[in-house]
Formats: sequence, structure tokens, C-alpha cells
Amino acid sequence: MQRRSRLLLGLSFALIMGSALPARASQVVWSGLVIANNVAQPEAIPPELNRFEGTLKELFGYNQFRVIGQSRKTLVTGSEDWLASSKYFSLHVDSKGGTDAGYLLNLKLFQEKNLLLETEAKLSKASPLVIKGPLVGDGQLLLLLVVQ
Amino acid sequence: MKTFEEKWTAWLDDELTGDELAEFEASLPDKAAAAAEKRDAHKLGAFLKEQLQGRAMGNEEFFHHQLRERIERDARAGVAEGKADSPRAWWPIGRLVWVGATSLAIFCVCTFFVMRERGPAEQSQYLSQILTARVDPVVSPNATISMFESKKDRVTVLWVDGLQSLPSEYATK
Repeated sequence: MQRRSRLLLGLSFALIMGSALPARASQVVWSGLVIANNVAQPEAIPPELNRFEGTLKELFGYNQFRVIGQSRKTLVTGSEDWLASSKYFSLHVDSKGGTDAGYLLNLKLFQEKNLLLETEAKLSKASPLVIKGPLVGDGQLLLLLVVQ
Repeated sequence: MKTFEEKWTAWLDDELTGDELAEFEASLPDKAAAAAEKRDAHKLGAFLKEQLQGRAMGNEEFFHHQLRERIERDARAGVAEGKADSPRAWWPIGRLVWVGATSLAIFCVCTFFVMRERGPAEQSQYLSQILTARVDPVVSPNATISMFESKKDRVTVLWVDGLQSLPSEYATK
């Protein structure tokens, strides 16, 4: 009897803990360096930006969004770092850890070896992050991070 | 009409009399051998009767007493076992209540800790957040930083103005 009661208690405790503690699966974070500009014949928008194309056009006033550098990183532990780079720009992303809400990131935008911008951000799984960078020619450099 | 075997058995048991006895004895081929066989049969009969008689029990009362005691003891044990088995087949109400209360208490404690842990993160559950941002004041002395959220697609924007403009060749891959 004693043994059975201990077994039942253990089982119920395990069930409670199992439902209380979230299971964290690995997720992919897409990071992109995008040049936005206005052209007569715009290219198709990259598939990673499809779901918020309207918002991008509305916010920045451009009709074309072209990826010049990108990285697709699978986060397993949530504490990883990676680089998305083009010929002149590079975005260094350092993930400091993941929670249920998303990932805590340190972002650094470099123009060649010059640090242009540094920011700390919480990237939510349901909410993309857009950073307006410097003007480049007749367009604008944008940095985008999306949890896929 | 009796067969020879029947008459032989009856002769061995001394059950033949009169003419029947005389006639049977006359029919025997070797009367001396038959008489010897009859004696042996009588001896064997007496021996078996003596050996197969039941032995009288010296301590009959004591044996009966022991037997009755054993039967009563077994009967009492059987009743006690039956009583013990039926209610203990499942947990008594008291123990079920105790286990239920303990499980509920464990659940409440776990829920409290989980909710406390999730509380501060609630705000950023659905929207990304910019915590800090800075530009190099030497490279971009006129830069300004602002941040906002577009509720439409839940896009969080870090808006940086005043960064040094770059020529179009910087737009290459």
C-alpha cells in the first residue's frame, strides 16, 4: 500500500511538472540585409517578407525590397551567434538566451569594419523586427529579423 | 452345477459336506498335495487376518482434540483474511482524501512558481521589443533613434535617422 501511494504521488507530481514546464523546440531565425528603393519594375518581394509586405511599403514608402545579405540560423540552445553579411555591410547577431516570449539579442551593424549601430532587442516569435539603417544611393538599408 | 474351482474354494473353506465332500475328495488326483495346499491356505488366511486388523489408537481423545483445534484455527484465519481483503482492495476514503489534497497542494505550488516566472515576460509575449540602441556619435553625430510598433502585422521598428548616407555601390550583394 505504501509503495503504491508513493508511486501515485510521484506520477501525479511528474504529470504536473510535465504540464508546467514548457518544452522548447529548436527554431529558425531569418536575418536579412535588405535594400529598399523605388523602381519602375519592382522585383517580387522575398518570401521571408511576404507576410508584412504591406506594412513595409506603408512605413518606408518603397516598392521594391531586395535582399543583399541573409542568414538562416537554427537556434537550439538559444545562446548562439551568427552573421548576415553583404559586400559592405554585416549584421552580427548574438543571442543571449531564449524564453517562451522569444530571444534576447544583441545586434551590431557594421559598414565594413565600422560599427554603425548597436542594439539590444527581444525578438518575439510572433513579431518581426525591422531596423532602419543608412540611406544607400536612392534607397534605404533595412535590417530584418524574423522567427520562422 | 458347480465348477471345479467353486468346489475347490468351498473345500478350502470347509464348506463341503456329505456326499458332495466325498465325491470331491475322490475326484482329487493327489489328495495329500491338496490337503497340504489347504493347510497353507488356512495359515495364510490366519496370518492376513491377524496383520490386517486395525490398530487400536492409544491417544484417541488427544488426537481428536488436536484436530478440532486445527480446524477452528483455520476457520478463524479464513474469516479474518476475508475481512481484511474486501475493504483493503481499494484505498480507504481517508487516504484518498489525503492524496487528493497533497496533489492539489503540489499543483498550486507549481502553478504559483510558473505564473510568477511568466509574469514579467507577458508584455513581450506577442511583440518584439527594443531594449537599448546606440550609434557611434563620432561617425554619426546627428543620428536620432526612435522605436515604435506597428499593430497591423505586429512589426517592431527601430527607426534611426541621421546616419551617414552611402553611395549606391554599397547596395551590392
